[in-house]
Amino acid sequence: MSAFGWLDRRYGLSPLVEFMRHKEVPVGKHSLFWYYLGGTTLFFFGVQVATGALLLLYYQAGEQTSYESIRYLTTKVPFGWLVRSMHCWSAHLMIVSLILHMFSTAMLKAYRPPRELTWVTGFVLLTLALGFGFSGYLLPWNELAFFATAVGTDSVKAVPGIGDWLLQVLRGGPDVSINTLHRFFGLHVVVLPLLTVGVVGAHLLMIQRQGMALPVGAEQPRRGMRFFPDFFLRDVLLWLLCLILLAILAVFLPYGPGVPGVEWELGKKANPLAPAYPGIKPEWYFLWVYQLLKEFPPHFLGMEGPQAALLLVTVLLGCWAALPWIDRRAQRDQPSPLISDAGAAAAVFLAFLTLKAWDIGGGAAHGGQPDPNLVARACSFWTLGLTALATAVRALRFGHRHFAFTAATALQIALHGLAGLSYLAAGGIALLALLPAVALQSRARPEAKP
Amino acid sequence: MPEIAEGKPRRSFLDLLLGFGALGFLASVIYPVLRYLKPLSAAAPGGPMKLTQEELARLAREHSLIMRFGSHRVIVFEDPQQRLRALDARCTHEGCTVQYVPGETVIWCACHNGRFDLDGRVLAGPPPRPLARFAVARETDGAVTIAPEKAES
Repeated sequence: MSAFGWLDRRYGLSPLVEFMRHKEVPVGKHSLFWYYLGGTTLFFFGVQVATGALLLLYYQAGEQTSYESIRYLTTKVPFGWLVRSMHCWSAHLMIVSLILHMFSTAMLKAYRPPRELTWVTGFVLLTLALGFGFSGYLLPWNELAFFATAVGTDSVKAVPGIGDWLLQVLRGGPDVSINTLHRFFGLHVVVLPLLTVGVVGAHLLMIQRQGMALPVGAEQPRRGMRFFPDFFLRDVLLWLLCLILLAILAVFLPYGPGVPGVEWELGKKANPLAPAYPGIKPEWYFLWVYQLLKEFPPHFLGMEGPQAALLLVTVLLGCWAALPWIDRRAQRDQPSPLISDAGAAAAVFLAFLTLKAWDIGGGAAHGGQPDPNLVARACSFWTLGLTALATAVRALRFGHRHFAFTAATALQIALHGLAGLSYLAAGGIALLALLPAVALQSRARPEAKP
Repeated sequence: MPEIAEGKPRRSFLDLLLGFGALGFLASVIYPVLRYLKPLSAAAPGGPMKLTQEELARLAREHSLIMRFGSHRVIVFEDPQQRLRALDARCTHEGCTVQYVPGETVIWCACHNGRFDLDGRVLAGPPPRPLARFAVARETDGAVTIAPEKAES
């Protein structure tokens, strides 16, 4: 008696096997590449679980042990450096893969009915991934981690009503201390993994029930590619390539590429009574928020600057999560070029703030303070150049014809970086210019592809 | 029969009771958890605090020092007139620890480039509020004590 037959008689596995045998991936004119990115994100998450479990064998949370155990792990334990390096690299690659997956899903409008909840669970997974990054950052208890956590947790006090309570709950006290590390450790190794497994499960179940989405207006192809084994083997091949890339990066750059926000040198042990040191930056995917916090004046529209900045971040993320309901045209399976353009503009907006947070072109790589005007100018040149290139590709290769949001974002960058206006004043002018353009374009029938 | 006619209201009444029961159950679980999550507040020092010998030596050596005062971090520094001053060391912007820059006679926060004068007033950058001041007193025997400004005045 075969093992399968034994199990099948008891648990009725045949319908499941039948389902998997008939599962297909739609093949049309669109590129299949975007369908693989969710899988690579899951692969990197798997690496995180495996390397995380290995790190737990040596890591000891505590004021006298956190930093010391990581130092011991990386300097004494055989291959300890490799396990930590893999964990860090894989964390960054997981976020890269997740962002690419999310943007490609947005551009293909895969969030439209009936897949709204797949998008929302994906958004929840993004926030969980950011939570993993943020909580894991503190665990080595070094100087960089300490201040990144001080700033990151301080921002929750901006939440109206319960801000102070939330701050204390998150920190385990009024300040970042070893109590914060214990709380973050619990979040990082128990709460977030359990939540993630649950939400990933729901996300995958929805995809299994509904199948892969087709681009807007595409006809359902008569035949697709069989998931098992054709698509799955391609998936596995890509995972293998990801593993090779991860191994190369982890071996040759064990402490990251050395760019602020993408480095994990242990450095000095955290000292709660030391001042923040110059050039301190959060991880690269939080840099845009960090820069936005710098751009806001002390007070803005009756709010304190940081509160206003974080309100803007919340509204933007909220819009992103609610995209399936905002994009009315996609709901009717019609092209929505304005939304596509807003997505492209979001990428430009994030790129400019991130470049600026790196102080590119500020002329102060070692010591001294970078000149903010020089930074704004250099970053605006880079961002405008890349935007022009991307816009040309969109127009020529994909036939896009709507660029109002991208143009407004570019106008803001030009006014700020080249004409010397403050970031917010430039943003206000760009917003005023955008409103009539969007009103005009949303009335016109879209003739372009999404 | 009257029992059957009254069946529906009775059912909805029972549902209502059940709903209240469920809410009560949830509240009895959530309330202790919420109380448990918030840590106990640390006892604040009642009166002025004296700097230790080690802190005094460090202040003499480096002209500035960051120390704990209850739940506060306080920066104590010597201004160009050799007067001791003390300010809350937690930046009012996003809570980083500030530092004294003697060359420019400013208090500076490296996180988002906030600048304060030696009285804690905002000079430049994004901090929305001044740094709270602490009173510093040097005793005749050389001991240094700090206290919140209100308590002193």
